[in-house]
Amino acid sequence: MNDLLVMGLEAAVLVAGLAVLLLDLWTPPAEKRNLGYAAAIAVGAILLASFAIVLPRPLAAFGGMFVLDEFALFFDRFFLLAALLVLVISVEFADRFETGVAEFYALILFALAGMMFAASANDFTLLFVSLELITVTFYVLTSFQRRQTQSLEAGVKYLILGALSSAFLVYGIALIYGTAGTMSFTRLAEAAPAVLDSRLLQTGLLLVLVGLGFKIAVVPFQIWAPDVYQGAPTPATAFLAVGSKAAGFVLLLRVLFTAVPALGPRWSRLLIVLSAVTILYGVLCAIPQRNLKRLMGYSSIANAGFLLLGVATLSRDGVSAVLYYLGGYLFTVLGAFAVICVALRHTEGEDIPALAGLHQRSPLLAATLAMAMVSLAGVPPLAGFFGKFLLLKSALMVAGDQPALYVLVAVAVVGVVISLYYYFGVIRAMYWPAEPVEQGHLPPIQLSRPLRWSLLLCIAGMLWLGVLPGMVVNLANLAAQTLLP
Amino acid sequence: MTGIFPWLILFLPLLAAAGITLFALDHRAVSARLSIGAVVISFALSVALFVHGTRGETRFNWISLSDGAASWIVDIGLRLDPLSLMMLLVVTGVGSAIHIYSYGYMHDDPGVGRYFAGLSLFTFSMLGIVLATNFLMLFIFWELVGVSSWLLIGFWFERPAAADAAKKAFLTNRVGDFGFLLGIILVWAVLGTMDFGQLQKMMAANPALIGNSTIGIAGFLIFCGAAGKSAQFPLHVWLPDAMEGPTPVSALIHAATMVAAGVYMLCRVHFMLAADALEFIAWIGGITALLAALMAIQQNDIKRILAYSTLSQLGYMVMTVGLSGVGGNPSAAMFHLTTHAFFKALLFLGAGSVILALHHEQDIWKMGGLSKKMPVTFWTFMIATLALCGVPPFSGFFSKDEILATAQRTSPALFALGVAVAGLTTFYMFRLIFVAFTGPVKSQLPDHAHESPAVITLPLVALAVPSLLAGFWGIDRFYASQFGTGEAEAATGWVAQLTAPFAHAPGAAFGGLAAVVIGFLAAFALYWNKVQDPLPAMLGVVARWLRDRFYFDELYAKLIAATQDALATLADFVDRWLIAGLFVKGTHGSVELTGRLLRLVQTGNLQTYSLMFVAGVAVLLLFMLIR
Repeated sequence: MNDLLVMGLEAAVLVAGLAVLLLDLWTPPAEKRNLGYAAAIAVGAILLASFAIVLPRPLAAFGGMFVLDEFALFFDRFFLLAALLVLVISVEFADRFETGVAEFYALILFALAGMMFAASANDFTLLFVSLELITVTFYVLTSFQRRQTQSLEAGVKYLILGALSSAFLVYGIALIYGTAGTMSFTRLAEAAPAVLDSRLLQTGLLLVLVGLGFKIAVVPFQIWAPDVYQGAPTPATAFLAVGSKAAGFVLLLRVLFTAVPALGPRWSRLLIVLSAVTILYGVLCAIPQRNLKRLMGYSSIANAGFLLLGVATLSRDGVSAVLYYLGGYLFTVLGAFAVICVALRHTEGEDIPALAGLHQRSPLLAATLAMAMVSLAGVPPLAGFFGKFLLLKSALMVAGDQPALYVLVAVAVVGVVISLYYYFGVIRAMYWPAEPVEQGHLPPIQLSRPLRWSLLLCIAGMLWLGVLPGMVVNLANLAAQTLLP
Repeated sequence: MTGIFPWLILFLPLLAAAGITLFALDHRAVSARLSIGAVVISFALSVALFVHGTRGETRFNWISLSDGAASWIVDIGLRLDPLSLMMLLVVTGVGSAIHIYSYGYMHDDPGVGRYFAGLSLFTFSMLGIVLATNFLMLFIFWELVGVSSWLLIGFWFERPAAADAAKKAFLTNRVGDFGFLLGIILVWAVLGTMDFGQLQKMMAANPALIGNSTIGIAGFLIFCGAAGKSAQFPLHVWLPDAMEGPTPVSALIHAATMVAAGVYMLCRVHFMLAADALEFIAWIGGITALLAALMAIQQNDIKRILAYSTLSQLGYMVMTVGLSGVGGNPSAAMFHLTTHAFFKALLFLGAGSVILALHHEQDIWKMGGLSKKMPVTFWTFMIATLALCGVPPFSGFFSKDEILATAQRTSPALFALGVAVAGLTTFYMFRLIFVAFTGPVKSQLPDHAHESPAVITLPLVALAVPSLLAGFWGIDRFYASQFGTGEAEAATGWVAQLTAPFAHAPGAAFGGLAAVVIGFLAAFALYWNKVQDPLPAMLGVVARWLRDRFYFDELYAKLIAATQDALATLADFVDRWLIAGLFVKGTHGSVELTGRLLRLVQTGNLQTYSLMFVAGVAVLLLFMLIR
């Protein structure tokens, strides 16, 4: 019973998901769409409740398989906030689903539960189960517009490549269990150094990294991202970009720093190389893109590279910077996708030039997207700037011990410079289009009240994290401390 | 309870600016009410703080990063001490009068909303400078003031002259600010903090620090910032051009407050200025005072005369800061800053009233006989003039006397210069009065002139009161308490206060008075009842030099043009062949090409994707396991 209490937040999310499915039975078809708001309110209530949790020391459940510490709590709140915003976006999108609106909401909640389990996973079993809960849910979410070939194609691609990565993941876990004789992170950390030296165990861990790398979309496992981002329904893409990526990072951080801290130094070169290649791949490929969602796909690859930079420092400051960066990334990317979701249905096609004149049709949409782009580009005073600042700073702090980090920082700076080009291209397309649009052809876009508030929340978040970083830096430090005492 | 007041004072104008920009740009009355309301409430709260006698700091931690050994902490804080309290009163008090006046002056302009938004933004920025507790914050607001000044000088941006003037002001200020920023970085690098309180403690604990050559250099660099904002020689050229802005803007920003920011900042950091730096500052101030006074003599535009007079008075203040010496008491500079804010704002507003009555004619040789047509404007203008000239018992007499007394004590050369400037000041101000307000009417315009409405004359009267009486209010002693010397004992009673300067430093007082009398007589002899300026005929080429401002602008233009041409030729080569050719075309080309090549990877074919995925796994394992 006590074990269930420790995972109360996850349980509440699952109950909410089931409740949405049940309520669907009695809701008239015209009202089904609004179930999304009910789900969003439930998630908001759970988010508020999470702030009532005081943790004098980390709690464990199910024989140490599940832990609730500040680190897990930070990510629980992160995922809850992300899901809240995604649900609001989903309601805007809902009328484009022929059937199964309530299922869409419920699936988001189940994916959310998976992410929250991932945040607390302290065992390879739970790691696998929670990842599969997320991934399997996303197979359905990405192909939810099942009469549109694009959406189906995205779903199939994600399914097959996802299955491939899961296969490697399971294989890796089997190898780990075979050599170390345990699935638990804590017990693996106590294993003898000889075990750690075994090639078999290292192969197993690398294959786990493959599985996580797929979620994070890090080179060379990034190949699915642009296609799936483009084809999936926009709310699903948004959740994929924020939630799924963060879930990959939370597991990567746990494995690296809780399960095999001793192997960290051996991995640092690999992480540095992956980070550099991922950043360059993301920014270079983004340049010729014309499709907005595809551009965001490449942007998310580049951002995975930046986040990996923080991991590669293997320091507490680096982890803290990763958490902070994810916080800013949440507001920025969800703000952008909210705009994309609403704006693209009022434009012809999904190409960037279709955004022309958006500032006349809806100043709030244009302002949010512009700020999101500025923040992604890392320009002060928005969240993206301070996040990148913390990441680079943490890398420079430890670069004395690992000179390759200097090269990585240089690559990151080059990446930021290149990324300015395509991020500002989006802003230019909105405000100063190449072919000016005539006034009369631009009917104003009406925004629903919840969406308006969500956009304002994203703007406020970007500004808050950029201008007054203190509070979130403290939270991130606290969370990072539990991982790296 | 009063803890929140400073924050309100600071942020109300910002809220007003934001509110106007977002919701009321096209609403004349609403924008004016928001802006005026904000500054008036700020003024009331400042008065409350002043009466309550609040001192101390309120702050919160803005950015705090600790790396174990070194920590990087930036606070946002507001500092209340005699210096900032009095400046609060000046900025919000004079600001209130000018905001109200603006409503009358700008009434028919289509851009009223934009105007008031700019004015409120300026008030916010200026209050930020006044209340800042550290260099970083000061610098941020310093630049904000620059931006709002740029917005307001260029308010009529469709006029090329205004747009150019705005650019000139901004760029000239940036030159000074570049040095300022270097100075701040130097201070931070050497002393490890940017907080004024901590710096002062550090200096007090270790007096040898002030002799440190790095701190000395930092002092010079910081003065660069003050020289830019307070328009000191050789960065003085932007201020006269800034008169292209609306007249209330000239009154608020380019006479009473912003240009005084440099002097205020010097007083704020006075504790860390070394003897060399102070002597340099004194001479720069003196030179500015003299040059500007000479240039004012041959100007014909009513606002430009006042602009040069502002330059000259700012020179006085800067000179006084320099003369006060290491560990000394620069409160005379702040005293003059305060009285000057009152009477110079009044002069500008009076000039604005005249300009409005004459349908935007600014040439004094097309005015004349206005004293009867516009009695309120004339008499308030007269009060301000007498204050500026330093005639007892007007406020300017007391503050100028303290300046001359300081100079007399420390530097005979600068004392002589100061007295000469006092004479010149009286001369050019009475030239302005005799030509514009009295004597024969010199064009048809004044015939149709009539007194301005109450919304304009009331602020004039409101400012005339402190211009007349501020010398008796003990402002100097209040400032002196900031610097802890307390040398000036209070004289009680009006007569005793009036005679105190003559007893205290008779040389300065009588010297100043003699200069005023000579200047007045000269102006009377030359300009009473004249329709033409007799001076060019008498002085010949010298008069032309004066009129053309010693050709500083031309010199700078030539110098800048020559440097720019040389740089441009070089830059053109670099740009054409290296940057555009090699770097941009090369980089852009190769980046674009790589992007396009990488795109080929993304075939959309699932089989290829799977193959690449597995290949990736293989590479990963090889990289890590084969050594």
